[in-house]
Amino acid sequence: MKKFALMTALALASAASAQSLSGTVTVWSWDAAAKALQSTVPSFNKKYPNVKVNVVDLGNQNVYDRGLAGCAAGGVDMPDVYSIENNEAEVFWARFPNCFVDLNTLGADKVAKNFPAFKWTELMAGNKRYAMPWDSGPVVIFYRRDLYQQAGVNPTAIKTWDDFIAAGKKVNAKFDGKVKMGIVGNGQDDEWFRMLANQNNCFYFDNAGTSVTVNKPGCVDALNTVKKLYDAQVVATGDWGGQITSFKSGKSASAMFGAWYEGTIRTNAPDQKGKWGVYPMPASKPGGVRAANLGGSALALPSSSKNKAAAYAFMENALATTGGQVAMLKSQGLVPSLLSATKDPYVKVAQPYWGNQKVWQTILDTLGDVPQARGTQYFQDARQVMIVVQADYIKGKYKTAKEALDDAAKKISSATGLPVAK
Amino acid sequence: MTTAPQFKPAEPRPPARKSRWARTPKAPYLFILPYLLIFLTFWAWPIISSFMMSFKDSRLGETAPFGLSNWSRLVQDEFFRTALRNTLVIMIIQVPLMLSLATVLAVALNSKLLKAAGWFRFAFFAPLVVGTVAYSAVFRLLFNTDFGMVNRGLTSIGLPAVDWLNQSGPAMTVLILAMTWRWTGYNAIILLAGLQGISEDVYEAASIDGATPTQQFWKITLPLLRPSLLFCLVLSVIGTLQLFTEPALITNSGPGNATMTLGTYLYQQGFRSFNFGYASAIAYTVAAIAAIFSVVQLRLFGRDE
Repeated sequence: MKKFALMTALALASAASAQSLSGTVTVWSWDAAAKALQSTVPSFNKKYPNVKVNVVDLGNQNVYDRGLAGCAAGGVDMPDVYSIENNEAEVFWARFPNCFVDLNTLGADKVAKNFPAFKWTELMAGNKRYAMPWDSGPVVIFYRRDLYQQAGVNPTAIKTWDDFIAAGKKVNAKFDGKVKMGIVGNGQDDEWFRMLANQNNCFYFDNAGTSVTVNKPGCVDALNTVKKLYDAQVVATGDWGGQITSFKSGKSASAMFGAWYEGTIRTNAPDQKGKWGVYPMPASKPGGVRAANLGGSALALPSSSKNKAAAYAFMENALATTGGQVAMLKSQGLVPSLLSATKDPYVKVAQPYWGNQKVWQTILDTLGDVPQARGTQYFQDARQVMIVVQADYIKGKYKTAKEALDDAAKKISSATGLPVAK
Repeated sequence: MTTAPQFKPAEPRPPARKSRWARTPKAPYLFILPYLLIFLTFWAWPIISSFMMSFKDSRLGETAPFGLSNWSRLVQDEFFRTALRNTLVIMIIQVPLMLSLATVLAVALNSKLLKAAGWFRFAFFAPLVVGTVAYSAVFRLLFNTDFGMVNRGLTSIGLPAVDWLNQSGPAMTVLILAMTWRWTGYNAIILLAGLQGISEDVYEAASIDGATPTQQFWKITLPLLRPSLLFCLVLSVIGTLQLFTEPALITNSGPGNATMTLGTYLYQQGFRSFNFGYASAIAYTVAAIAAIFSVVQLRLFGRDE
């Protein structure tokens, strides 16, 4: 009886505090991500009926630019909840350490263990937690079942990159070279290098963010593989838009990206329903890691917010509850990084677009294998170097991948002031 | 003996010298004061402030003193050299191409033989009215490798398709074509105004002396058009040094850094990497180069004979 009274009192108290939150929470986000956040508003308003949530879709670049301008101006014209890509996050913490609230002061340390460790790497500076993990981008291969079948390729047999190249040769032979195993953003981006390097536990920088590690063996292997794919002529070059037009017109038998690409394929090629499937990325050697991460975002709380408690409550409901994360997975295919959401029954539901494959199961199963990597505040500098070095290496400017990456390491070091790791 | 006070005749005293300040009328200064304040706050101060910032490391929290590090990085920076080289390549190829085209256009527009001259003037000036983002998007579409009209045209007459935006040479070509499309008409209109300032008498005299139209063009039109051409040249060179929109939106500085210009590199450093100190150093270098180029051009082509 005593226990019951206590429970009632607690329930009343929390209900009272939920009632006491009021006002408006303005959220800045982009495209599908904004739609996903919008889908969590009903469940939030069930708990906090007096808070009005206003999700503003500014577009990805605009969110970044206006956040920069707002922070540089000392925190004016900022929303209550700010969307931020993990790769770009550390720039904000390093340049404007006072622009965002340390979420630990609002209780984020209590939910920290509910997310995989790698998601926090870029969101923390010292002991401060500047943003809460949102979606993640476990890398998989999306493939056209029909085209693979016509070429006699069995996706479950593709276990290493050598298998992938062998499959690509079959596809080339069948379709006269008109269909490719993938489109690489060579010269425009270095995504393939980053995914392969991450898989090999290597990245531009070490996880402490104190030295340049881009010429370590894992990265050398990654760059080598990209070149091998080109030399075997199983991939072609195309930028973001080019890749989309390519799969829409049936010229790509597969695509490799973070799982958020699911929505991109599904919404751009609705007529290819049932023709697509998913399998884990090939490993660099038999039995190797078949997981990596590309992209993913987080939510931060600007210090200038007038309504911090309500803003934090919104973030917590959207990101730190299974209901919130699964709502976003359903509506826009945003892959949850909350560990409990990865066990939600919806994950095991067969997806008609993907030929009734339980794609979320396949995708989320890799989440635990993703090696840590850190963008650091120098991500953009390093990426710019790597885009050029990768393109030059493919073109044949360097003799070996090691030589190319030694040069890249030297350039990244001079641009960032960080030493090249021994 | 009384001494009468001696009255000296008053020497004519010079009028009290009013200070220069007192003699100056104040009203005009009061009227321009608002402008001056705005100029100092939003122009002069940022210019000084960004110079000071070029000596700071703006990447570590609050700006920290950094000595000459930004400047020494600039000297060794391969990307900066690439950006500078690309900018100069565009300048050396595109500016003369555009100005020659503009001169030909201006002469044609000035011709009495041309019907509906007003319509043509509008047509050539129109590209400038189109929003830069819109025109960049259209050029991206036109030069799309698989679906662009340009490649459709090339293949339809039996020529091979070109991977325009994914190869360095072709990407640069697209940029130069786009800029020429946009800016030729603008320069032609300025040159046209210059042409109309040339007196008919000169041509009449030349005709009487038996000069052919070609001779008239080289001996009369071009020399008399020189001030207008110089104006266009200086503006175009400064414009090219600041070139940003086309490489940012059409080629995205790529592939690799193949079409990165000083403008896009400055933007990349300042607003993608948040490295305002280094971006300021780049900005000052660009401004210095622009100043040097302008002085050289005025010296070379600006002398009146």
